[in-house]
Amino acid sequence: MTSEQFERGSIGRMRINVLPTKRFKTFALSLFVGIPLTESRVTPVALTPFVLRRGTSSYPETISFRERLDDLYGAGFGFDLYKRGDYQIVQLRLDVINDRFVSSQQPLLREAVAFLGEALTSPALENGRFRTRYVEAEKTTVAKRIEAIVNDKIRYAAERCVEEMCKDEPYRLLAIGRKEDLASVDADSLYRDYQDWLSNAVIDLYVSGDTSLQEVLPLAESAFKLPAGSPQSYSPPELKAPRQEPQTIVERLDVAQGKLNLGLRTGISYGDSRYPSLLVYNGVLGAFPHSKLFVNVREKASLAYYASSRLDGHKGLLTIQSGIEIDNYEKALGIIREQLEAMKQGQFAAEDIERTKAMLSNQLREIQDSAYERISFDFNNVLSGAERTGESLLADVQAVTPDAIAEAARGIGLDTVYFLRDRKGEG
Amino acid sequence: MAVKQYPKLQETLLHEKLDNGLEVFILPKPGFTKTYATFTTRYGSIDNHFRAAGKEEVRVPDGIAHFLEHKMFEEPEGDIFSTFASQGASANAFTSFDRTVYLFSATESVEANVNTLLNFVQNPYFTDENVEKEKGIIIQEINMYCDNPDWRVYYGLIEALYSKHPVHIDIAGTAESVRSITKDMLYECYRTFYHPSNMSLFIVGGVDAEAMLERVKANQAAKTFEPAGPIERFFEPEPAEVRQRKIEIDLPVSLPKCLFGYKEEPAAASGEAAIRRELATKLMLDALLGASSPLYQELYDDNLISDSFGHEYNTGPGYAFSVIGGDTKDPDELLRRVSDAFRAAAESGIAESVFERTRRKKIGAYLRMLNSPEAIAGEFTRYRLKGGDLFAVVDLYESLTLEEINARLREHADPSRLAVSVVRGSGA
Repeated sequence: MTSEQFERGSIGRMRINVLPTKRFKTFALSLFVGIPLTESRVTPVALTPFVLRRGTSSYPETISFRERLDDLYGAGFGFDLYKRGDYQIVQLRLDVINDRFVSSQQPLLREAVAFLGEALTSPALENGRFRTRYVEAEKTTVAKRIEAIVNDKIRYAAERCVEEMCKDEPYRLLAIGRKEDLASVDADSLYRDYQDWLSNAVIDLYVSGDTSLQEVLPLAESAFKLPAGSPQSYSPPELKAPRQEPQTIVERLDVAQGKLNLGLRTGISYGDSRYPSLLVYNGVLGAFPHSKLFVNVREKASLAYYASSRLDGHKGLLTIQSGIEIDNYEKALGIIREQLEAMKQGQFAAEDIERTKAMLSNQLREIQDSAYERISFDFNNVLSGAERTGESLLADVQAVTPDAIAEAARGIGLDTVYFLRDRKGEG
Repeated sequence: MAVKQYPKLQETLLHEKLDNGLEVFILPKPGFTKTYATFTTRYGSIDNHFRAAGKEEVRVPDGIAHFLEHKMFEEPEGDIFSTFASQGASANAFTSFDRTVYLFSATESVEANVNTLLNFVQNPYFTDENVEKEKGIIIQEINMYCDNPDWRVYYGLIEALYSKHPVHIDIAGTAESVRSITKDMLYECYRTFYHPSNMSLFIVGGVDAEAMLERVKANQAAKTFEPAGPIERFFEPEPAEVRQRKIEIDLPVSLPKCLFGYKEEPAAASGEAAIRRELATKLMLDALLGASSPLYQELYDDNLISDSFGHEYNTGPGYAFSVIGGDTKDPDELLRRVSDAFRAAAESGIAESVFERTRRKKIGAYLRMLNSPEAIAGEFTRYRLKGGDLFAVVDLYESLTLEEINARLREHADPSRLAVSVVRGSGA
């Protein structure tokens, strides 16, 4: 697919991964900071990037911090919080255009690395801790974010289904933390948690663009002031078996449309050699418009606008989601269960497997055209210990046999049925 | 065939208008794995009252352009998604106010996929039965949006701003209007708006542009189309004032959602002047309301806005309005603070340094957008429909002046043409 390869190095605790490429008009920087997901730490870790984006030692006021980004030709700065396997990951991103497209007086890559390094490791401080004003404002922001999840019923139903399925594991927690923890966080405690986080987290810096490891190493070395140490690794996730009898959770809110979500456990995660079979399984079942769920729930029965399945490969979970007329709950659930059973029985046409493989191959090839997707794909290896390239995963997907799909199917168990419905007839 | 070079951007664009009227654009991206193609008709939710050349004037039910988009995917031999899947392509479509776009992305069998795209959109297949079946699916789509407060507050604002112009009608229509749609109505809309002379094809990615153009020409030459005259579109005169100052919608939300905007005269001309006005307005809004503006920071510090606060500017045939706002604990106070800021800025003017910084930010964001073939295809088509050129945007930004931006500010922010839409739970 491509001859471009990541160049690897490290500085202290931080691994450096550089993808030299001339294909894009930008330098894409991505920083992954991961730590095991735990009840005690989830909220301070979630709050940390919100506070970091308020200011650095050189740009302590939020306005000056953001003006600086504008001056770097509107550099795109952002962060994400997510769960991967049993880890809570904070990702910081910075996308800045390559100087050759503008009449810039400043070397933009150098400035971008310096900015990102400072954002992570030299935040704006007062009296040796975070600024109280920033911490208090961002606590409010995080609380609002958590409260707002219920506004988007599709997202809410998805989160609730996983929460119910994983209620005895840290994975039930939201990556953005718990509202009830926020009150006890202050500038002092958060700064201590932040230092502890930097000392214990697994840290990976990615840079893609018209550059090289040789150029990035010294830039990163002067930009990041990290605690001493050597690069750490991620551990594989704990994969639980589904409960003996699937549980059914019904929740009532003021909604016009019912949301039916199913949670399944697959016993296979990204690092497993059977993962390609699971990818094909998910494709035949519900990832595409030619898949069983779309065809049977939407096209044949006209029950829904969306009906699909999604794989959370790092935790070995598979979820199914559909928006339906509330009275059609039994009917829709019946059709979905029939599709799951058909998968177990190996009832899928050869052409559906071929279509799925063609679609998966397309997705894998498309990754090459996006700097951030190439970075994410590579980071999957870092997370799981796998050593996949786009080419090798593509070849593995092509080699998946019908038997391998059915075998994967037999290891997949329904754990939770979650239904969000209206309040009519509420007892 | 015309070849246009954009040396500063390192882009080359091929363009040809075919004999049947179809406009074809190809942007080769050497080294890219993926190819992305869009097939667009200048037909959207606002085109509900029209006359095809030599035909009767017709009014059609709300949501029909979107219904037609759904139905195009069905062919006599089955669902076209399966054909795309066999060829490794991911296909989709969407309907907006003024256009309907069919698209795919693929890394292999690109020629076959381009042929499939052209063929399925140029081969309508509607039956009483398949039209009836689609209604259940679309009504679930409408119900999904009905539960979505972001969508409701957005449409609430357009409804508050416009009384006659069909931009205020929901793109998907209502359950009732959707139920009234028949096979014959779909065919009538299809014949009117899906003639090649009302359509454009844009292909971007790792393709041999000239060979691809020949393929497209061969595909089109093999089909016959009756010559089509111009389409007349009718819009009732829209009053200058807003329909109502405020719309309140009752839906449970964690915090009220508040959007407001100024309605203004639609741009008289299409072409470069219209694009220039759009860019100037967006730059002006960003200078005043962007995340690095003092106003944004004050509102954030006072807990009146969150990261959801944003702004946009929307223009098309017969409409032009801004959309400003987000989640807030106090919609009235937020509206007061922002409209006061507009008034003050209209008097004092935007500072030179703010203008320069915002312009630089806009140019950077534009160049970053050019990394994405999807974004290029979407934006290119949007600019083209307005008679502009996406690749001339940097030059336009560079030629904007502070006086122009300040004039735009004074013209746009007319307090008498401001409307607000609020979604909140009755318990809140």
